[in-house]
Amino acid sequence: MMMSLFLAGSSLLSFNTGFAIWILISLIVFLGIMYKFALPPIIKGIEERETSIQSSLDAAEKALRDAEKIAKDNEDVVREAERAAQKIRKEATKEVEEFRAERLEKAKEDAEKLIEDAKKSIDQEKQKALNELRKEVADLTIEATTRLLQKNVDSETNRKLIDETINDLSKN
Amino acid sequence: MAKHYAALANPLVFQHVSVSQSLSSLRIALASILFIVGWSLIGVPANATTTAYDEAAETEESSSPIDVMGKIADHDYIESPFGKVYLPRIFWVEGQLYTYANTKKALESGEFIDKEGTLYRADNTPVTIDMSITSHLVYVWLGFILALLISLWAASRYRRGIGRTSAPKGALHNIYEILYLFIRDDVIQGYIPKEKAPRYTPLLFSMFMAIAFMNLFGLLPWAATATADLTVTATLAFVTFVVTQASGTKTYWGHVFNFPGVPLLVKFILTPVEILGLFTKPLALCFRLFANMLSGKIMIISILGLIFIFTDLFGATVGVGSSVIWVALTSVLYILKVFVALLQAYIFTLLSAVFIGGALEEHHHEEHDHDHEDLTKMDTVQA
Repeated sequence: MMMSLFLAGSSLLSFNTGFAIWILISLIVFLGIMYKFALPPIIKGIEERETSIQSSLDAAEKALRDAEKIAKDNEDVVREAERAAQKIRKEATKEVEEFRAERLEKAKEDAEKLIEDAKKSIDQEKQKALNELRKEVADLTIEATTRLLQKNVDSETNRKLIDETINDLSKN
Repeated sequence: MAKHYAALANPLVFQHVSVSQSLSSLRIALASILFIVGWSLIGVPANATTTAYDEAAETEESSSPIDVMGKIADHDYIESPFGKVYLPRIFWVEGQLYTYANTKKALESGEFIDKEGTLYRADNTPVTIDMSITSHLVYVWLGFILALLISLWAASRYRRGIGRTSAPKGALHNIYEILYLFIRDDVIQGYIPKEKAPRYTPLLFSMFMAIAFMNLFGLLPWAATATADLTVTATLAFVTFVVTQASGTKTYWGHVFNFPGVPLLVKFILTPVEILGLFTKPLALCFRLFANMLSGKIMIISILGLIFIFTDLFGATVGVGSSVIWVALTSVLYILKVFVALLQAYIFTLLSAVFIGGALEEHHHEEHDHDHEDLTKMDTVQA
């Protein structure tokens, strides 16, 4: 029994040189064909795909980064513009306010001046009217007196007299 | 010093080896128990085991219900559903080449005689080199051819642009690419320095494909497992050995012949151990694949054989009745064998990559500070 087991083992563990030579030859042929024809397109194809995927990924990432940067720039620009607009608006409001105030002031001044002028002209007119009135009254009085007295009366001296009288009248 | 030495070995590698070893040792133990039980039940005649090329002896031993050895051993014929197909015999005897269509023709020619199953030349000279085409050789070829055909098919697809500019299409193409990427990224680039890995990728991937197909061929009912033959695995391991030594760097050979950082006396012990290690590594590679594939084969034959043994011992009713159990068990084993076939091809490739990677390692041990740094790093990894 032991013997048969031993023999079985020895036949299993035997090394057949001729067979090994065959395998080596076949293996070399097999590896040769694999190296020459089968594997290069596979290795190159997969590598090509990998690099293309990698480059696409890189490009996508770069595009994303660029887009983010552009968006950020845009945001900055918008913010800047808003800030500028606000500033302009504020300035404009301020200017308008100032302008209005100025105009108001000027208008007020103008109005005051107008009133003053009017008052002045009224006064002048009044004075003029008074003078004219006085003259008229004097003339009328002279005429009347002349008519009354007819002659003898030196109009010069009478006028003086009458003027004094009228002045006294207007003072009272 | 022992610590120093251990620290230089990659702990990952050891883990891998121990896992596969414990797995295979468990399987081998299981198989050997079944083997011995089966053997004592069958009582195979001694002459059935002496040679593989013995058809005359085989017809005589019909007394035993199953022939485990006959299923495992190499033959001068291949079995097919339509019967045996006898293969050509090629002999190299003392500088002379003899070729015959088959064993029968060789015997009929009168130039060769059969002595207890072994063929001798008529003048009693033993055959120097037996270059006969055997069943295992046929399955080695089939493994190579299938690996080639699938690779060439995949190559034509890549050349057409499928997989190159677009994603791979179809299950087979996808599986092929998954295997290729797995071998390239996880096995080869994991252990061989990245800048040198592309040089070894075609070799190791081809080996993986060939071994995987040879292993898987063993699952066919009539087929033989070529990788359950020591000659096949030894030749494959020999290729790994040659490639490993050919790609050895100065550091690698330095570690073999003049281990750095070790006293002279220890070197006298270490150098022979290291030189031995050069050969034990591929030897382990060879035996691991061989034993794993063989044990699976023996287990299936033994378990299915139990049907016939039980029929022999207790009658047809028990034999057929119990077959439910054995067939179920065999089915489970088949699933396991499919897994193991791929696993062993993977382990063979992985260990080849590890050995080659180890030989390619360049490490400057002259720098002692650096050395020390590595040591502490290893310690932390191990802790």
